[in-house]
Amino acid sequence: MLIFVLRRLALSVAIVAIAVVLLNAMLHLVPGDPTVMILGPRATPELIERTREAMGLDRPFYIQTLTFFGNLLRGDMGVDVFTGRSVASIVFSQLPYTLTLIAASIVWSAALGIVIGCYSAFRRGSWIDLSAGVLSVSTISVPSFVMALYGLLIFAVGLRWFPAVGAGTGFWGQAHYLVLPAFAIGISWVGYIARVVRASMLEILGANHVRMARAFGLTERRIVFSYALKIAVLPAVTLIGTGVVHLFSAAVFAEVIFSRPGIGALIVNAVNERNYPIVLGCILVTTIVIVLATLVSDLVNAWLDPRIREAL
Amino acid sequence: MFSGDFGEMTAEDVKFSFERALEHDSPVKSDWGPLEGVEVTGKYTGVISFREPFEPVWLVTFPFGVGHIVSKKAVMQATQGGDFKMNPPAFSGPYMLDEWVPNQHIRLKRNPAWTGEAPGYDGITILPIADEKSAELAYEAGDVDFTWISLASLANYQASPPADTTIEIYPALSYVWLGMNIDNAVLSDINLRKAIQYAVNVEQIVDAAYFGGAEPSTGIIAPGLVGHREKTLVPAEGDLDKAREYLEKAGGPPSEPLTIDISSESKWKTMAEIIQAQLLQLGIQTEINVQDSGSFNTLGMESEGQRWKNVQLILNRFSMQPDPFYATSWFVSDQVGIWNWERFRNEEFDQLEKKALTEGDPAKRSTMYTRMQDLMEESGAYRFLTHEATPLMYRNTVDAAVRPDGRPLLVEFKPANG
Repeated sequence: MLIFVLRRLALSVAIVAIAVVLLNAMLHLVPGDPTVMILGPRATPELIERTREAMGLDRPFYIQTLTFFGNLLRGDMGVDVFTGRSVASIVFSQLPYTLTLIAASIVWSAALGIVIGCYSAFRRGSWIDLSAGVLSVSTISVPSFVMALYGLLIFAVGLRWFPAVGAGTGFWGQAHYLVLPAFAIGISWVGYIARVVRASMLEILGANHVRMARAFGLTERRIVFSYALKIAVLPAVTLIGTGVVHLFSAAVFAEVIFSRPGIGALIVNAVNERNYPIVLGCILVTTIVIVLATLVSDLVNAWLDPRIREAL
Repeated sequence: MFSGDFGEMTAEDVKFSFERALEHDSPVKSDWGPLEGVEVTGKYTGVISFREPFEPVWLVTFPFGVGHIVSKKAVMQATQGGDFKMNPPAFSGPYMLDEWVPNQHIRLKRNPAWTGEAPGYDGITILPIADEKSAELAYEAGDVDFTWISLASLANYQASPPADTTIEIYPALSYVWLGMNIDNAVLSDINLRKAIQYAVNVEQIVDAAYFGGAEPSTGIIAPGLVGHREKTLVPAEGDLDKAREYLEKAGGPPSEPLTIDISSESKWKTMAEIIQAQLLQLGIQTEINVQDSGSFNTLGMESEGQRWKNVQLILNRFSMQPDPFYATSWFVSDQVGIWNWERFRNEEFDQLEKKALTEGDPAKRSTMYTRMQDLMEESGAYRFLTHEATPLMYRNTVDAAVRPDGRPLLVEFKPANG
């Protein structure tokens, strides 16, 4: 297991480095000049040139990239070209908002999705199963930004239960502001997870070891909660691990629609402004989060299923 | 008085503030024009010297960014170890910065050192909401008391306003136009450019893209400003017969589709699609190139390589301060390949641009700027579209104060019953 984790961590470093280089190269390939945005339209060409030199933008791409990694090894992620603040302070001030949003979305959607999936499997063919199936597919089909807009209209504008924009302060304040965006992002995952868990549970309930457990006279409740559920949620855990990428994308919409701070909105603005240091910092951090999420989902799978554990 | 221990505002602070734009080669130093320097003659008196008259000083330089006065002592103290970044060291108005949480809010509070009339509120919170629709929903949800709204929503709000709400629409200082790159091989023929000018029906475009909330413009200088033109040379509704005449002189439509470069906002797409349909009436085919703002903002810049050569039609928008020089200065020959993407060059225009900066008589200045816009239009490189508009709404509990262009003057906001 330890060797597996170390191997995956080494691989993760390579993945992060490749992702940063590739995405940064793509950004440099498209036209745009951050100095034009920083200095404004009235800057003289001489001043623009001097600023480009000061920012190192006159150097070849590979030198800029190597400089970034060199500085990174010293713990320096660079400086925001607009505010002069350190990239690390900006990215890490925004990251918790996005991670909280993603975590809240995963937790509520997984909890509900697993319950619906299991219940549908036990009541296979019943009207509850059929209704859950229709609802699941419906929520999967509706994009999260549509859910965000309807959530806003109904719960913020109509009922005024929740605020429309911002992130709030204090634990309960932030939780209050989190409800609508987490609902918007998580709702389609309820459907996904419910469908995956239902299919998985149906397969497990017909598996040899479950039939054996029944033959030994174990109660259905014990079979489900002690043996079947652990295995039935494995595909859902994998789905969530790989789905963190999609959740980051959905968070971008949610952060724009709900005017929330977060790394999604930060990276969109930084790309539009060609604010390379912020883009690099955001790519680095989000890639690390995504790689770690995949690793964690693999480890959780191994913890839940001894067969996977033995194979590592 | 400045906040903290920085004392009162003196002529030394004025000198320090005004001259530092030149001293530090600020990107906005051109707003000071031919400023020579400030001579301090007493604690509260001094002389601001220019090498020659500079008329924009009254409407641009003094009221906006470079004319703001900072505390010399506070700035020097705060910059000893570098710069003060986003933490201003002193304040001099009715409010001061209480808290700035990036991408979340800016909170202002009363400045205890302020000795003038007390401001209307103990504090004001400014929420940065990038999307107008989100801002509208935030208003309806009761999260904000004042917001700009989109022109797309204006008619609905006017028909059915939220409770206890005032809705107003103000003119804007922006200007939107369809530009044509004179140096592009296809568009170098003035007859083709004129054909396009006459084929474009501005009323249809503005009506569709701004939902009836904006008017066609007559140039780049908005109504109410010195130099505003009463009418265009080409009528707003266009003239298809004239367009056909010019197209015939040009030898017919281009063999390849022309490109229309636009930024990735939906209104540009609407406008481009209407222009596409209007030009198709003459048999001129077009393709729309949608670009993100980072790419679009450097479209015609020579510093960005050879891209400018392929630019043909551009839907563009600039904004200005209330002096006409802020609009015309982008279209002089020196700006070709920088911000003058149509690559319009005209000696008379350049001379008028210089002369108008020193002209003190508003009537004479106005004539000059009117002529300059005529020259732009005569070149065939411009089809002026609109100045847009700024609709906004606020609660009746607030006595909101805005500039003539609809920008909020937060310092003047008061409770409606106060």
